[in-house]
This record gives sequence, C-alpha cells and structure tokens, in this order.
Amino acid sequence: MSTTAMAFPGNRAVTRRPRRVSGFWPTSPALALLIVFFVAPLLGLLLRSVLDPHPGLQNYAEVFASTTYLRIFMNTFIVATVVTTATLLLAFPVAWFLAVAPRRWASLLFAVIILSMWTNLLTRTYAWMVLLQRTGIINKTLMSWGVIAAPLPLINNLIGVTIGMTYIMLPFMVLPLQGTIRSLDPATFRAASLCGAGRLQVFTRVFVPLVASGIGAGVLMVFVMSLGYFVTPALLGGTSNMMLAELIAQLVQSLLNWGLAGAAALILLVVSLGIYAIQFRFFGIRAAGEVE
Amino acid sequence: MLLDFDRLGALRAVLSGIAVLVGAFLLLPVIVIVLLSFGSSRYLQFPPPSWTLHWYTDLFNDPDWLASFATSAEIAIVVAIVATLLGLMASFGLTRGRFRGRETLRAVFMTPMVMPVVVFAVALYALFLRLQLNGTFIGFVIAHLVIALPFAIISICNALEGFDKSIEDAAVLCGASPLEAKLRVTLPAIKAGLFGAAIFSFLASWDEVVVAIFMSSPDLQTLPVRIFSTLQQDLSPVIAAVSTVLVALTVLLMVIAAFFRRGKPA
Amino acid sequence: MTRPFLSVQGIEKTYGAVVAVQDVTLDIAEGEFITFLGPSGSGKSTTLYAVAGFLEPTKGDILLNGKSLLDVPSNKRNIGMVFQRYTLFPHLSVADNVAFPLRVRRRPKAEVDARVAAMLKLVRLESMADRMPAQMSGGQQQRVALARALAYNPPILLMDEPLSALDKKLREEIQFEIKRIHNETGVTIMYVTHDQEEALRLSDRIALFNAGRIEQIGTGHDLYEKPASRFVAGFIGNSNFFEGTLSGADRSIRLPDGTAIRGVSLDRLAPAKEDVAIMIRPDHFRLHDGSEAAAMLRGTVTDTTYLGEYTQLAVTTSWGAPLSVRLPQHDPAVSVQKGQPITLTCAPSNVRVF
Repeated sequence: MSTTAMAFPGNRAVTRRPRRVSGFWPTSPALALLIVFFVAPLLGLLLRSVLDPHPGLQNYAEVFASTTYLRIFMNTFIVATVVTTATLLLAFPVAWFLAVAPRRWASLLFAVIILSMWTNLLTRTYAWMVLLQRTGIINKTLMSWGVIAAPLPLINNLIGVTIGMTYIMLPFMVLPLQGTIRSLDPATFRAASLCGAGRLQVFTRVFVPLVASGIGAGVLMVFVMSLGYFVTPALLGGTSNMMLAELIAQLVQSLLNWGLAGAAALILLVVSLGIYAIQFRFFGIRAAGEVE
Repeated sequence: MLLDFDRLGALRAVLSGIAVLVGAFLLLPVIVIVLLSFGSSRYLQFPPPSWTLHWYTDLFNDPDWLASFATSAEIAIVVAIVATLLGLMASFGLTRGRFRGRETLRAVFMTPMVMPVVVFAVALYALFLRLQLNGTFIGFVIAHLVIALPFAIISICNALEGFDKSIEDAAVLCGASPLEAKLRVTLPAIKAGLFGAAIFSFLASWDEVVVAIFMSSPDLQTLPVRIFSTLQQDLSPVIAAVSTVLVALTVLLMVIAAFFRRGKPA
Repeated sequence: MTRPFLSVQGIEKTYGAVVAVQDVTLDIAEGEFITFLGPSGSGKSTTLYAVAGFLEPTKGDILLNGKSLLDVPSNKRNIGMVFQRYTLFPHLSVADNVAFPLRVRRRPKAEVDARVAAMLKLVRLESMADRMPAQMSGGQQQRVALARALAYNPPILLMDEPLSALDKKLREEIQFEIKRIHNETGVTIMYVTHDQEEALRLSDRIALFNAGRIEQIGTGHDLYEKPASRFVAGFIGNSNFFEGTLSGADRSIRLPDGTAIRGVSLDRLAPAKEDVAIMIRPDHFRLHDGSEAAAMLRGTVTDTTYLGEYTQLAVTTSWGAPLSVRLPQHDPAVSVQKGQPITLTCAPSNVRVF
C-alpha cells in the first residue's frame, strides 16, 4: 500500500490509495485443498469416462444400452422413491407431534430421534441385518404367531434395503419438517377457521401449503441421498439386485473398468446436483445442508 | 387449532400413537443389538439363552480391532484440528471479505457435503493411485478433510456472523495489530463455534465409511472399514459389542453437548 | 497564528457515486470539546471514522500536530474511541478490559495495574474491577469503555453517539460524568450526536453537518443566535418559517400580507435574492401594545396550552401560515382566548432572513 502524493499543511491535497481486493486470501488454503483433492479428481473421473479405453462416449452408450445397468438404475430409482415416500408418510405425523405435543413427551421423542441420527450408520444397518435374518426375530415372531409358514426373505434383497434405508433416513426427514411446522403461527389457523373453513379444509388449504417448502426440502434431500447411498444397500441387498453406488464401487474395485465407473458416477453426480439445483431454484438455499 | 395439541380431538390419539410407534421403531433395533452383545448366542438368537461378557473380552483382546479404534481416533483428531484451522481462515474470508463471487465460493465450499460420497470416493481413489497415497495416514487425513471442511465452515461462519465486528475494531483502536486483535478478542469470543467445528469434523471423520473403504489397506483400516468388511462375511456378535461401545460413546457425547448448552450463560 | 492541534482539511469520502462527506475542513484546539451534530446520514460519523482510521478518505488530509495521520494505521494512531454499542471485550473482566490497551503496548505490570486503578477511579467504578461486562448495566459498561479509551492517555478521544442506547435519566447522568472527566483530564474530545440538547450541554463548539457538508461551526450561542443558513436555524432550537419578499430600493422585508418589517440585518443574504425565508423563534414574540413597532404580525389564536414555565399559543397568521408562540407568564398575551385575533411583535434583531 503506498501513497502517491504528499499532504502539505494548509493545502487541499489529493491523497489516493489503491483499491484492494480485500479479504480473499484467508480462503486460499482451504480452496487449494478443495481444488487439488476435490475438483481435480472429479474432473479426472469425467475425463476417464470419455477417454478410457478409447476417446468417445461409448461408456455412456454402454451404460444406457445394457439391460443389466438399466435394471440397476431402475432398482435405485424405485428404492429411492419408495424410501422417500415411506419416510415422508412416517415423518409427517411425527414432525407434527413434535411441534405441538407437551414439552416432556416431545423432548423425549426428540432425544430418541437425535440418538438414532447420531448412532453410527453401520450399527443401525447391522441391527437390521440381525433382525431381518431368516432366523432373526421378525421371522421367528411371525412364524410363532402363525402368520407365515416359512421364513420370509427379508434380507439380501431390495425389501431389506428399503426397510433399512427408511430407518436411517427417517430422522433426516423429521428434523427439517418439525422445524417448519414449529415456525407456523397458530393465528393463521384461527383466522382460517374464523373465515369459515372446516378442519379438513384448514388442513388442505392452509397447513399443507405452508409446510410445502419444508416437505419439498426433506423429500428432495432424502431422495438424492437414497440415490447415492452405498453402505446400507451393500449390506442389506443381494448381489443380484445391486444399486447404483455398489455398481460404481464394483466397477472400480473388482472389474477395474474406470471408464464405465466414471460414466456411471458422473450420471449419478449430474442427477444429484441437478435435483439440488431445482430445489435451490424453487426453495432457496435454506434446505441444502440443514441437516445438523 | 391444528397446532393446538389439546384441541385435536381424535387426531390426537392418532398422532400420539404414530409417534410412539415410530419412537419404538427407531429405538428398539439399537436396544436389541445392545442386549445381544451381552448374549451368549453365536448366531444372535433373541432372546439370548444366557448372558456373557466374552464378546467384549474378545474385542478388547483383539489387536486388529484395537488398532482400528486407534487408527480411527488418530485420523479423526488430526482432521478435527486441521479442518478447524482451515475452516477458521476460510470463514474469515467468507464473512469479512469483499470480493466478487464470494457467495459462489461459499457454495463451492459446501459441495462435498451435498454430493454422493461414492462419486468422490472413486474419484479420489483414482488420484491417490497415481500419487500412491492410498493406504497411507496422510491420504486418509486429506480425504476426510475434504468431507469435514463444510461442517467446520458452517459452524465457524455462524459464530463469526453473530460476532460484533466493532469489538474487534475497538481492540485495534486500543493498539492491537489486526492479527493480535483477532487472536486476543475474536477467537475467544467465538470459541463455541470453534468447538462445534472441531466436534463435527471429528465425528464426520470418525463415522465415515465409503471413502474409507477405498482408502484402506490391510494394514490401515479405520473402525468403520473393519466393521464393514466383517459384516460382509458374517454377523459376528463381536460387532454387536463394537456397536454397543459406539452407542455408549454417542450417548456420552449427547450428554456432554446437553450440559454445554445448559451451562452456558445467555 | 499557532499551528492548530488537530486539523481536518478538505476531507471527502465517496462510495462509488454516493458522496458521504465532502469539503469538510475544521481546526480543533488542544483540550477542546467539539461536537459533530446533525441528522442521520449527514456525514458526522464518517468524518469521525476517518480520524479513527476505519476508513480512508478519497480526498483531503488530517493532521495531528502538523503530521499527517492518514499514513498511520489505526492501531498506531494512539486515539481513544467510545462506540454506541459499548464494544467491551465480553470474555475479559472490567479490569482486564481497561488493561488491554496497556498490555498490548507491553507496559510493565506495575504500571498497568496502577493505571487501571486510576482509570477505574476516574469513572467511579473501582468496586467493579472483577465483574464481567455481561453483569453490568449499559451505563456502567459505557463508563468502562471510557476508562479503557483513556487508559493510554490518548491526545484525542472520539465518541460516536455513546449515549443513544441509554434512557434519558441515565443519559443526563453520564453527560455530567463526561463533562467532569473532560475537565479533569483536559483531553481533546470529538463527539458525535444527533441530539442538539446534548451538543449544547457538553460542547465548547459545535459543527453542524448536513448532507455531507458542514453548515456552520461555532459555539451553541453562535448557532442559536446567528444561524448561517435556513438548515441551521431549523435544526437548532425551535423556529417559525414563512415566506416573504424583498422589495423596494430600501430593501425592506415584506410579509405575505403586505406588512413591512424594518431594520432587519441582511448581510448573509445573496444580493439578488427576492424571495426569502423569514425565521422568528417562538420565544421572541410579545403582545403588541399599540406603540410604534418595527415588526407586526396579525393572526388568530387557534389553541393555547399552559405549560407551567410558559404558555404556548398556536396562531394562524392573517395569510394562513401556522405560528408557534411561546410566552412568559407575565406577558398579557397569555390571556388571549382561542378564536380571538391577536397582534404580535418582535424585535428586528430577532428576525432572521435566508
């Protein structure tokens, strides 16, 4: 920083200082880390998908043409949809309860939800692996009640995956939803009923529209997470009905097919970021990252 | 009226019922695992035929498991420290800086948190194969750093935005250099944010599974990786013991966090 | 002429197209208490911040004892400052807050302790040395801020609306404290406020800011009795404004109803001006007693309020303008009833023309 003119007493001098681009440099170490170890590898993956083994888009063509891969996409999409729907149906009443119930009970339930969310993912998945076994409690109980004759195949298939993922995603849907409901002003509802609306009408015309953004945020977040989920499908699912994340891992680790892996990964990435972009456009940036 | 619990009528029973069921749904599986860890059945029969502690003794006598605990802890601690440091600097830039693209930069920093982890894992794995960083401590730290950084930045940015900058300006006026003012005045004032950043970064690294699977080698396995690879083969009750230990740590952490929140003056 | 202690010369600050202050020039004597007064956004805080070093003026200079301050970074200017929001360090006790500037200057412990004790005594908070800021009231926190600002004996103390956050009674108490401390220490004070009563009470001189410029600098008496512009007349004290015209070779002032006022000083007026604004303060009116008067205003009383020390009349002039009149209780005009006509007079020396 330097001055370009001197000030003399009694003179109206011009002292000019150069304008600084201020305050950027503290972000540079973190930014450098991100660029080298995050952005660059992703670009590398993109490049591999179009260069490996020969330059061109064959990898993408192969992914979209092969029935195996298409079935995997379908599986992933269906599971994500079912999980999101189930989670929403369970989370909505729970969030509603949390927002309106007396503090003692609400705090208790809240603590249970937080505990569940903070419990290690593997622990939670393991629990369902144990429960859903052929000789596990669920099958045993159902058989002892005479509901079924032979144990149900609840594990190593998409049913187990769906159950496990719903279990894991539930807190992620409940928390933002209960925040939204809690922020509603009861006066709005009283005003609506004064205007003559009946219970059901208040629900459909006032309640749901007001929480729509919270629902939208939760739904999109759970859906996107489910699309890319690895651990639970890998453990609770079977090899014959893989989901997308496990496919990518297998392509890299077992088959060493970087080109295909890159293509599949990029597709997943683009779809995920695309959905978030839609959410950002319609709901603003609040929801992305509102997990803690 | 829909928000007034006492006036919900029949809906009240429905909501409460669902709440209880979901609460049980969330809680019971974990309780079952904790109980099974003390049960003697190798095949995880429930209820267990008898009670025993030998899964725990197996666990604490197994050098591989202990090594994994240690590895996870070491990596997580280093990640917590470095992420907090980098996050602190980045947060200063993001909250105080005046440059174009500041908000875009903030969004860029958040990206590792919103993208599917497996994509990042695979991409980084490829890079590390070239740099021969797979299976190394530093490779792990770098990988987890990228994942933990957004958490650190969010926590510290929040704290900085809630801090009145004129206090720092007053310190400068009192004669402190800008750096001294930050060290002596600003940092103590945002220590809750720094603490939160460290804790969240630690947990992000400690719990991380997917990237770790790719980063691991037979000699260097974090705890989640060892659990995962064991589970791919069999459902040994030792895992139940490990899980119970982890759950106990989680509960401890929640209790500490609750204490902090209550003990803090308004 | 001796060199002024603090010289502000031609300060200008622009933010892109927006001009925050321009052409700000004034000289301040050592030990003086000068107040920057003006409405919000008039540039008074901007000028203060330029002296503190928080912003760099786009033009002009600030000289302390002949040396330019602009090259000196904020933390080396050795200036004390007290802010509206106290800005005490929340994690340090009162004593540590006051000791901070001394510790940062690496003064020896004995000196620091002695100085802290002396400062706390100055602001009368010796018993609170170990308290934390959060445990103290607003007024006490502001006094600690004052002690901290004076701890290192700065040649200049800047105060940016320090009392706006306090309630009225507390404000008066602390104004008294500030005046006392000024007398005891002799430090030069630059004070910013939008409250004219506070300015009149505390300052040796007042610089009245409007829209980024200084309209007038002078003592409270100067600004009240001899306002340089319509703005100053309207800002300080109460005033009545109405339109008039200058006419005739004798350049006499005519009120809208035709009456002339003679003997009014015109020296501040631009020579060619014909339409003028006339200003008379409410307390300069008296009831016309029928004798020959230089200025007479006719009107009707619309309201009368008894206010103890004086009576306030609301009058509508014969040409329809509203007038506020303040009369001492012995003036016969106080008994004029609502709805009755009234003729008021005032001395020509109390009539201002802009």
